[in-house]
Amino acid sequence: MPPTIEIPIIPIEQFTLANGLRVVLAEDHASPVVSVAVYYDVGSRNERTGRTGFAHLFEHMMFQGSENVPKAAYFQYISNAGGTMNGTTSSERTNYFETLPANQLPLALWLESDRMRSLKVTQENLDNQRQAVQEEKRLRYDNQPYVNGFLRLFEMSFKNPANAHSTIGSMEDLDSATVDDVREFFRVYYAPNNAVVSIAGDFDRDQAKGLVEKFFATIPSQPNPPPVDVSEPKEVAERQDVFYDKLAPVPAFALGWKIPPRRTPPFYALMLASHLLFEGESSRLYQKLVKGEETVVQIQGGIDERRGPSGLFIVVIPKPGNELAEIRETIMNELHRLATEGPEDEEMQKLHNNLVNDGVRNRQSTLFRAQQLAEFALYDGQPELFNTELDNYLKVTGAEIKEAVATFLDTENRVLLDIVPGAEDVAPAAPLGAGEPAQPTAPAPQIPEPPASDPESSAKQTPATGAYAQNDRGQTGADNLVDRK
Amino acid sequence: MAINQNPTEAESFRAVAPEPLPPRPLNIPQFVETKLANGLDVVLLEDHRLPLVSFRLAFRAGDANDPANLPGLSDMMNALLNEGTESRTSLEIAEQVERLGATLSAGANSDYTTIAASALSVYSDQVLELLADITLNPSFPENEIELTRENAKQMLIQQRAQPNFLAGERTASVIFGQHPYAIVSPTPESLDAMSRDTLREFHRATLVPNNAVMVVVGDVTRDAIIERLNALFGQWQPRTPPQSNFPDPPVRTRRQAYVVDRPGSAQSNIIIANLAINRTHPDFFPMLVMNTILGSNASSRLFMNLREEKGYTYGAYSSVDARRVLGTFRASAEVRTAVTGDSLKEFFYELDRIREEEVSEKEIGDAKSYLTGVFPLRIETQEGMVDQLVQLKMMGLPDDYLHTYRERISAVTVADVRRVARNHINPDKAALIVVGDASEIISQIKPYTSNIEVYDTEGRVKTDLTDESVGA
Repeated sequence: MPPTIEIPIIPIEQFTLANGLRVVLAEDHASPVVSVAVYYDVGSRNERTGRTGFAHLFEHMMFQGSENVPKAAYFQYISNAGGTMNGTTSSERTNYFETLPANQLPLALWLESDRMRSLKVTQENLDNQRQAVQEEKRLRYDNQPYVNGFLRLFEMSFKNPANAHSTIGSMEDLDSATVDDVREFFRVYYAPNNAVVSIAGDFDRDQAKGLVEKFFATIPSQPNPPPVDVSEPKEVAERQDVFYDKLAPVPAFALGWKIPPRRTPPFYALMLASHLLFEGESSRLYQKLVKGEETVVQIQGGIDERRGPSGLFIVVIPKPGNELAEIRETIMNELHRLATEGPEDEEMQKLHNNLVNDGVRNRQSTLFRAQQLAEFALYDGQPELFNTELDNYLKVTGAEIKEAVATFLDTENRVLLDIVPGAEDVAPAAPLGAGEPAQPTAPAPQIPEPPASDPESSAKQTPATGAYAQNDRGQTGADNLVDRK
Repeated sequence: MAINQNPTEAESFRAVAPEPLPPRPLNIPQFVETKLANGLDVVLLEDHRLPLVSFRLAFRAGDANDPANLPGLSDMMNALLNEGTESRTSLEIAEQVERLGATLSAGANSDYTTIAASALSVYSDQVLELLADITLNPSFPENEIELTRENAKQMLIQQRAQPNFLAGERTASVIFGQHPYAIVSPTPESLDAMSRDTLREFHRATLVPNNAVMVVVGDVTRDAIIERLNALFGQWQPRTPPQSNFPDPPVRTRRQAYVVDRPGSAQSNIIIANLAINRTHPDFFPMLVMNTILGSNASSRLFMNLREEKGYTYGAYSSVDARRVLGTFRASAEVRTAVTGDSLKEFFYELDRIREEEVSEKEIGDAKSYLTGVFPLRIETQEGMVDQLVQLKMMGLPDDYLHTYRERISAVTVADVRRVARNHINPDKAALIVVGDASEIISQIKPYTSNIEVYDTEGRVKTDLTDESVGA
């Protein structure tokens, strides 16, 4: 019987300003730092065909100046105050966040409120950031093996264009963005009634409340943005495709399934199932394929968590000389086994301890707290889920895991993408080999990480990541004293 | 034109940045230290805020200690430590660790090797016993060696498809030369040559208690931990630690470009590099301040120039890579292929500027404010703190390093910044590494140096376009 761990409850206060801005406060004096997170309810899901990449491009524009803050001064103000900051865009939302010495809370609120109310958009700034975004696309996607193939998987998995296209967008759509487009985007989506501000860390509650009201209360609300339809048809047949990749050194393949939205009972169960299937070296697929049959170099997977239909994917680098069809059959057999036999008791214990460990460990960071609180406030209107959501995972039973796998994964209702080295006019050689698992479509930060220098990073370690550890969570970064931002 | 949602009357309080609140003090805890009879140093910081514990067993020998004919031996050994011990199989280790919700792994950088474990503190005893088992009793099963070897060979193929790996590989090679810091990965030949006997002997020789520090941070108590460490590690015998007598790196006499031809590249990965300082060099703190101004973050000169002004790149940076023995200065970015030459122009402009002109009082004040301000973030979490303590011990920094860090930053002057920039940034003799489409970029590089070597992605020289040879 696993021991009971007391996970500290964090005190949460929430209120809404007259203009609709939701505010969440979580006071904690453990360390003299404070994190502020501002979440806007706009992501790539809100983009229409011909305008892909806008939410992300717009995120860049938010750093280009507002009425009282010159272009890129945002970076300067935060850095000079001894802080770190960034922003990211996903299918679901655009977030902005900073962590500062505790006494610099007014600065953060001034900066965030100024750009919420009065963004300054010029053709020059737009052209400049379009270029930065296009270089980001080249860096992360076009100049890397496999990653564009991975985007193709999402196009195949989701039928609704709102869900299927990538957050980075296409070069053509980015080229066609105009200043008027950007201004309209701001008007519609960047309104206080479409946003959450959360503050976690070392502050005085009355003082923080006063500052929030001072800086945000006079920002006028806007009409609510149009609702977005993210519904998906239920697939009735397997979909298969081939993606030709000139930069891929060896072949790879990816499998994708549609799964129910976040915070539904099957979603919780599938999150835990994914952990059993491919997280860590005791996971079923790792043991079966990497260790047992030794046909696979690497296997990775993840869940793309959305408010609408979500996705579960598995990416495989097979070893050369192996039949891909056999590897795929092994994977489906393992899914079938989990779907019919369910998890073992030791596996449930593993899940329990992993959930608790992650739950406790993540809490150390004010940035993680600010971001998680903002997300629960934005999506669910319930920031208090920060303290209670873990229970929804802990109470999932083995039978529920079994049933969720049976319903959603042990099925022909899935997507298969082969990534083949070479150009399209080159016929693939017969058996397809391995490929490196592409990066999951984690929202990329506005500011890329500076290059890691060898001694600055501590010895290579595999971090503990629960399947439910989201990739845009506060990265406190064990920043080293030796020259990191 | 500023878009105001619906401009109300002027809110004049917004016109300037608000004043900060009164500063809040930072409490930097001090560790306690003791030594076991076999020489194992123990550093302990109790932290009972959350029920977590982190262990780092760190050894003052890293992959620079790999035999010259066996690059990657440390990595191989570390990868195999948790693939079997005298009493546990690979699967049993994985299952037992993961069942606790814990992590256990081993890895090395150039200078030190770390065996790391983290867990809920209620499982502290169990995870420490597992850490001891893989450290003291690894069995290096033949089948696991074979599997790890084959997978490592596949990963070499993957690495060569990644431009940032190629850039780092070429930089290390040309800057460090015969010094072992030049080695960044194994070769298929070295992997094939790593026998079980070699691994076992390397393990015995490298992981010795009297060359190691056990750092413990978290929800444990001193007496209990010391007792447990004595029980688990007390029988571990000291040995003469591995010696480090490394050949010197080459002395650079001229600026030279090294192009790694990657046809079809959408970008050029640029690194401009030269040797600089090691970790304990007296110029370390001025270099940190200088680097903050020049290129450590988004408010620095390189980022503001190459991205925010010119739009050449997603990010441009500089870094001070100060290792135990040697170090480098680097400036780098991934830029659109067509502006490779223009980017080099801006890089050299900024490198010259920071050497020739004194930085302003505002700039140095801002840089110091940044470095002292973000300092608490580095120790906000247990992982951050344990990392700092490992570095402190492994790099031979003073015990009060964390406590004096901020004042040492504050003491750096404008003259210091210029002095270290002039001494440790050498654009005229730098190595210029560019990974990209050679057919598009060689002509763009020529204005900056006519000494150009070209490599393929396997690391072999293609053509030498130094001015002595007949070049295009």
